[in-house]
Amino acid sequence: MDSGNEDALDIIITNVVATFRTRCHLNLRLIALEGVNVIYKPEVGKVLMKLRKPKITASIWSSGKIICTGATSEDECKVGARRLARTLQKLGFRVRFSDYKVVNVLAVCSMPFSIRLIDFTKKNRPIASYEPELHPAATYRIKQIKATVQVFSTGSITVTGPNVQTVATAVEQIYPLLFECQKPLRK
Amino acid sequence: MLRAARSCPQCGSSSVVQDDLYAESQLVCQDCGSVVSEGLLVTDTGAGTADVRYSHSTAVSKVPCRNLIKGLQRVRALCRILRLTYDVEELAEVYFRKAYTHASFIRVTLAKKEALVGCCVLVSCRLRNWPLALGTISGLVETDPALVGGVFKELEKILDVEVPKSSITDVLEAHSREYKLSSAHVPEELAETSADLAKRAVALVELATDSWIVTGRHPVHVMMAAIFISWQSLRPTKTRLRYSLNKFCRLSHMPLNKTAVQRVGEMKEVLCRLGQEIPWLRADWWVPDDVALHVEDILQHRHALLREALRTHEASQKAEEASQGAEEEEEEEESRGTEGESRGTEGESPGAQEDRQGTQEETQGNGIQPSTVDPPPRAPGHQPDGTDTPPEPCTLKAVNGDPEEGGGETQGTQEQRPAVHWGKRVLFAPPCARHAKVCRTDASRWAEVNGDEEISDSEIDSYIRRPQEVRDYLQTQQQLLAATEDQEYSVKK
Repeated sequence: MDSGNEDALDIIITNVVATFRTRCHLNLRLIALEGVNVIYKPEVGKVLMKLRKPKITASIWSSGKIICTGATSEDECKVGARRLARTLQKLGFRVRFSDYKVVNVLAVCSMPFSIRLIDFTKKNRPIASYEPELHPAATYRIKQIKATVQVFSTGSITVTGPNVQTVATAVEQIYPLLFECQKPLRK
Repeated sequence: MLRAARSCPQCGSSSVVQDDLYAESQLVCQDCGSVVSEGLLVTDTGAGTADVRYSHSTAVSKVPCRNLIKGLQRVRALCRILRLTYDVEELAEVYFRKAYTHASFIRVTLAKKEALVGCCVLVSCRLRNWPLALGTISGLVETDPALVGGVFKELEKILDVEVPKSSITDVLEAHSREYKLSSAHVPEELAETSADLAKRAVALVELATDSWIVTGRHPVHVMMAAIFISWQSLRPTKTRLRYSLNKFCRLSHMPLNKTAVQRVGEMKEVLCRLGQEIPWLRADWWVPDDVALHVEDILQHRHALLREALRTHEASQKAEEASQGAEEEEEEEESRGTEGESRGTEGESPGAQEDRQGTQEETQGNGIQPSTVDPPPRAPGHQPDGTDTPPEPCTLKAVNGDPEEGGGETQGTQEQRPAVHWGKRVLFAPPCARHAKVCRTDASRWAEVNGDEEISDSEIDSYIRRPQEVRDYLQTQQQLLAATEDQEYSVKK
């Protein structure tokens, strides 16, 4: 892996979103009554439950579908989801942890150089789009791996993809394109 | 032939039969042959006149939709307001007709259809290199800019056209005409023509583009800042120099934006930095407020001043590195002197390295482990000879690894200096990079989580209320409910 190059990039995962099912109906009022760190939203029909360790927020629907957000790794997300299922089990529901799937991963990476966004958009025309009046970053969508990269002029990029491997692949694909656009237009 | 219970009015005979003539039903007397009565030629009775939805009727293909006609009229009106040429107007109409019947725009709200009108005009302007900003269009159609932006992006995909981006310098001229600074609106001392303002502002914006102030920023704020500085510098009298941006906006009847104030500060900082390179001016008294006096000189010679500033910066960086190198050599000599006493220097340095890395600004993620090496101290954005180095493949390094990494002592001594963000090392960088926040994360993250650990009961119990707590909660809820009911009852009384 070490090709003799000392410039390595840090990819920091900031959010992992996963869903799973409990295969049973959940009584939201009971969860709101007997659960700690719970917010009941009857107008939307869901309950928000926050775990301290790992730091995760879960949206629980009465159909048994649960979405977990806030984890910083896939494994942490799975542990959090299993803890949540276990908590619901202790509350008296016949929970079966099933259909666990990581749906979205958000990561942030910082390049050690600034990027000319107009140059970058011109060179990658249909795939990249940049409208400074709407958003300060250029959006680059990689269709093959279903990842979206937002490129800021400071060199920071945010990558969204269905899993961690996709995010890493997206960064590897986009790095050479960004490297080309780092030079100033004129001296 | 059917017998009908009727009598013929001519001969009184009762043998009247139904004898249809093709599609026309007729009752005919068999004896005298006279037609007693006949039916309607038209076959539909009342069913065809019932209300039918426009989209289910045949009128869809024959008569254009009312909203389509209105939309086309609106397109023409917008083109006339903006005084666009005939070919731009025609192109806008063609695009509107094409987009209107697309599935994304056929059954949407009127606001979105209005936004579509504006976006068709915008797309055709951009394709014909006519400078027009998205903000102008959203103002003209009186729709939320975010909605207009979304419709614009969808329209690009549907029409499958490559819409070129409008350059800020093109829009600047049109923007400068909005400022009411002619002699008819303001006193002579403060008056300026929009042509002069635009010319000076274009040079300022080009300078700002080279120094990373424009990229990623909203163009209106940059343009406002550029016009303000050019107005001050075209006739830098004391009166003008005392004007703040707030006062200037009130004078020129323009809405003030707080972000534009920041842009003014950033531009003046860059002008100060370049002004320091002017040989016929002293470099020690540069203050951003006084920079307006010399903007003309700076802009006239900006390319040369930029080069000089870069050279000066590189020279100072080299001098800094040389002095730091000398300091490191002194430290190494000292440490060599004490090496014989403590044997484990090499064994310690990786450990020391890892401790220092824990406090470095680069943070540890859990899925992809971060690297251990911070980038080498050089200015990557501005190479003096402009040579293109081939893109180095990025490597994602493991953190828990590598005691041999970096070669021991020199790496250890390099790590002793706090890691400096690259934005602080280059001459010009995007302001967010110059003032980059240090990201600190909790050092005691879950380093060895595999997702399938055992979950102990004690952890789960902390998330469940005890029965006593539940009873107390219900009791309190009932008491509060009773109290509010009593209150309401007493109020009604």
